[in-house]
Amino acid sequence: MTESGLENWEAQIRKGWLDVAILATLWKGRLYGLEILRELESRSDLVITEGTVYPLLTRLRKDGLIEGKWEESDSGHPRRYYKLSAAGRSRAQALARHSHDFLSKIDALIQPLLKEQMR
Amino acid sequence: MSDHTEPANDPVDSYLAALRKQLAGLPADEVDEILQELRGHIVERAAGSGSEQNRLPVERVLRELGTPEEIGSLYRADALVARARAGFSPALIIRATNRWATRTVLGFLAFLTGVMGYAVGCAFIACAVLKPFFPTHIGLWINSHNVLLGAAPRPHGPELLGWWIIPYGLAVGSAFILGVTVFLRWMLRFIPRASQRVPFLA
Repeated sequence: MTESGLENWEAQIRKGWLDVAILATLWKGRLYGLEILRELESRSDLVITEGTVYPLLTRLRKDGLIEGKWEESDSGHPRRYYKLSAAGRSRAQALARHSHDFLSKIDALIQPLLKEQMR
Repeated sequence: MSDHTEPANDPVDSYLAALRKQLAGLPADEVDEILQELRGHIVERAAGSGSEQNRLPVERVLRELGTPEEIGSLYRADALVARARAGFSPALIIRATNRWATRTVLGFLAFLTGVMGYAVGCAFIACAVLKPFFPTHIGLWINSHNVLLGAAPRPHGPELLGWWIIPYGLAVGSAFILGVTVFLRWMLRFIPRASQRVPFLA
């Protein structure tokens, strides 16, 4: 695969995983946009262009999976805090289960290739 | 909120003004909230998390955020799909489906179904409307070769409906348009939303 072919493939993969990753960051409690980004950046390679996370948050909110609430902050600008709705919690769990099954199968499938490489 | 139209020397203001232009057509309160949220992001990202070494130049924060065109188009595309799904406007629905058609086979098939369905519906209605003006040339003919609707010049074979083409044409045409609209609204739930696409910046 060429370098740009590999990049395209990676971009496709990222696009598919962002939904579940964002819902996962909100699992333990509420966060605002920048905190969600920091979580994603420190714990995954999913975010390339930071601004694209915000339209996604808007869509998740409109789909009823997360709720947003404005609050004043000491940064001088109000922040919109997001938390999972009841529907969002069950969707996040369903996506997590699917993801886990899916990834274990792919992992088992590619194991021989990785072992070959290590020799 | 303060993002209205101030002529911008400040890079943040000019960035947000450019984004506001990109968001024209979205509800005003929604646009205000989007800009408010992004302003907060920029200010806080630039300030870092308190310590000096985390601080970033505003230009870099804006670059990492993506261009106003990039972000604006994501919001706009999602808003178009949301509006199309919420209403019964064939124009909006066909626009949303058209965008989708360029991305996936399913979208292309949905778009094709939509265009053909609306065309057939419009043809029936056009026949009903035009019958009083061209009574001998508008009708439904069936002969050994084919079925012809609203053909001119007048083909051979028996004409089936006569003046009944007016009520039938209106009813069948409306049913087609309504049916296609309901079908595409339902199909639009399978559209991969624009905001899911994360452009890869090398």
